[in-house]
Amino acid sequence: MKRLQLQRWSSTALSPRVRTNNRLHQQLYSTGLRLQSTVSPLQSESTISENVEDASFQNPDAMRHIRPQDTIAISLSPVEAATQSAKLAALHARLYLPSRLPLQTLARTLVDASADSNVDFNNESLATLGHDLLANYTSEHLICTYPRLPLSVTFAAMYAYVGPKTLAAISKEWGIDNATVPGGEVDPGFLQFRRVAPGTAVEDISQLQSARPYADQKKWRMTVSSKIFYDDEFGDAIKGSVALGQGVTDETARATFVRAVLGAIYLHAGRPAAKRFFEQHILSRHLNISELFNFSQPARDLARLCARENFEAPVAKIVSETGRKSRSPVFVVGIFSGQDKLGEGSGSSLMEARERAALSALKGWYLYTPINPRVPSSMEEEGAAPWKPAHIDLGEVIV
Amino acid sequence: MAASITMPKRPFLTLPFLLPSLTESLSIGAVRHQSSYRRTKQRLRVKPDASFGPSQQGRDQIIYNPPSSAPSVYHTPSKFLPANDVRRVMRPAAAATATTDVNELPSVYKTQPERKYHLTPEDVEEIRKLRLNDPMTWSRYSLAKKFECSPLFIAKVCGASPEKKAIQKQVLEAVQSRWGPKRRMAREDRKLRREAWGRDE
Repeated sequence: MKRLQLQRWSSTALSPRVRTNNRLHQQLYSTGLRLQSTVSPLQSESTISENVEDASFQNPDAMRHIRPQDTIAISLSPVEAATQSAKLAALHARLYLPSRLPLQTLARTLVDASADSNVDFNNESLATLGHDLLANYTSEHLICTYPRLPLSVTFAAMYAYVGPKTLAAISKEWGIDNATVPGGEVDPGFLQFRRVAPGTAVEDISQLQSARPYADQKKWRMTVSSKIFYDDEFGDAIKGSVALGQGVTDETARATFVRAVLGAIYLHAGRPAAKRFFEQHILSRHLNISELFNFSQPARDLARLCARENFEAPVAKIVSETGRKSRSPVFVVGIFSGQDKLGEGSGSSLMEARERAALSALKGWYLYTPINPRVPSSMEEEGAAPWKPAHIDLGEVIV
Repeated sequence: MAASITMPKRPFLTLPFLLPSLTESLSIGAVRHQSSYRRTKQRLRVKPDASFGPSQQGRDQIIYNPPSSAPSVYHTPSKFLPANDVRRVMRPAAAATATTDVNELPSVYKTQPERKYHLTPEDVEEIRKLRLNDPMTWSRYSLAKKFECSPLFIAKVCGASPEKKAIQKQVLEAVQSRWGPKRRMAREDRKLRREAWGRDE
């Protein structure tokens, strides 16, 4: 008769801490517990208040980040958990992170505020720093490379480079997996966050925190220039952080993680390393800015531009054509100002070709790039050449 | 004749090689002959570019024959370069030789509208009064005809009254209610295509 193994049966019913020691699982679980553990052992109100009284503080809420003594006594050192995780070491090597960035910090970047509300152990502060760095580096790159770009296109390009969707895609390319539920037994190489309850409206997750007067009037027209003053770097209304009990979406958690990684690199390895990381992972992504434009009346805008810059009025001329009387004609129309050609476009009707030509001329104006554009942060490098002011002109055509 | 005895399944006219003498006299429009095929192919045989010719074989060179394509929007026209940009000085030599005279090129429009600038402030006042008081008689086009200006100018000077706009909306709805699905879809597609121009798609 075969002998039954009762210990193995108990594993399904009991949590690893309660379970009696098993030869097989002992090694695994003893190192898996961390100080950042979100599943702190159940404690009564009395234990919390005792600890708070010990620290002689009146407000327990203000001292949320202080862990009760018994938690620390039970949890094992987080150092071992982070250093023993193969996933984390692999991620560190895969991203070619500087060796001065320890694995413990990398483990911290993977803990979202919704998984661990303690600001000393989650990635919120790192993400705030990383977010500001990303916005700064991207905006200075866009403004110095394309000094005439319209503001709405700049916002769109910012969103395409460092928007939450892009950052979430980057984290997927890095090979980050989500932990199903955050907890102390989870491998620190997983991204830990508490998910939004299914069926929650996305608008309800975070409150609007805009300084704009009448911000709740969604239908009112908002000028593009007012977005610089009131809104965030993408031209969207500023939203507050997620409430404590509520979870976050997968996209938000992943974006926060990528920002936190940049913040951690900045803190541990300094500015040059952060800049290099930004260039290698964000700026290296291909973005065709000429596809972000959408004009309603390009011919009118071009006429306004030529009048403003004291050029001759633009004239549309047929450069070449084929099959005028056929079913599928092709016209090539050029837009000229004096003897200079400003743009060229082709289309199956004269009006279409003219519109496209005016559009290409406008894009030619907007996508001007100075020779060897430099960004202000390049002055931080060793032995940088003296700063020459970036090109600034009237830029956008306002009709 | 051998062909009439064997009775081929296809008619004679589509098989012209069976009737070598008759095809000359018959005028068959859409039929492709062996002879015409050869002629078409001969015409399509374009001579290679001169840079590929035997005279260039002896020495080392770079052959650059780019296919014809739309110019890149990232190439800023010389006129749009700022005054202190180096590219402004570097370019004109190449540009002067390449361009033909712009005035010789045909215009997109058949006729250029003649601009008169003849209307006085009193005329503008009268236009506004007429359009406001009797919008049914004095439409944009009738006013433009009376004052010898463009309908666009009338629209710039004064807008239609709300009553007139409501009537016009009703008329439009009445017309559109008679459209069938085909016409409606064609109209919608046209609008979508027009919007795609602005995105350069």
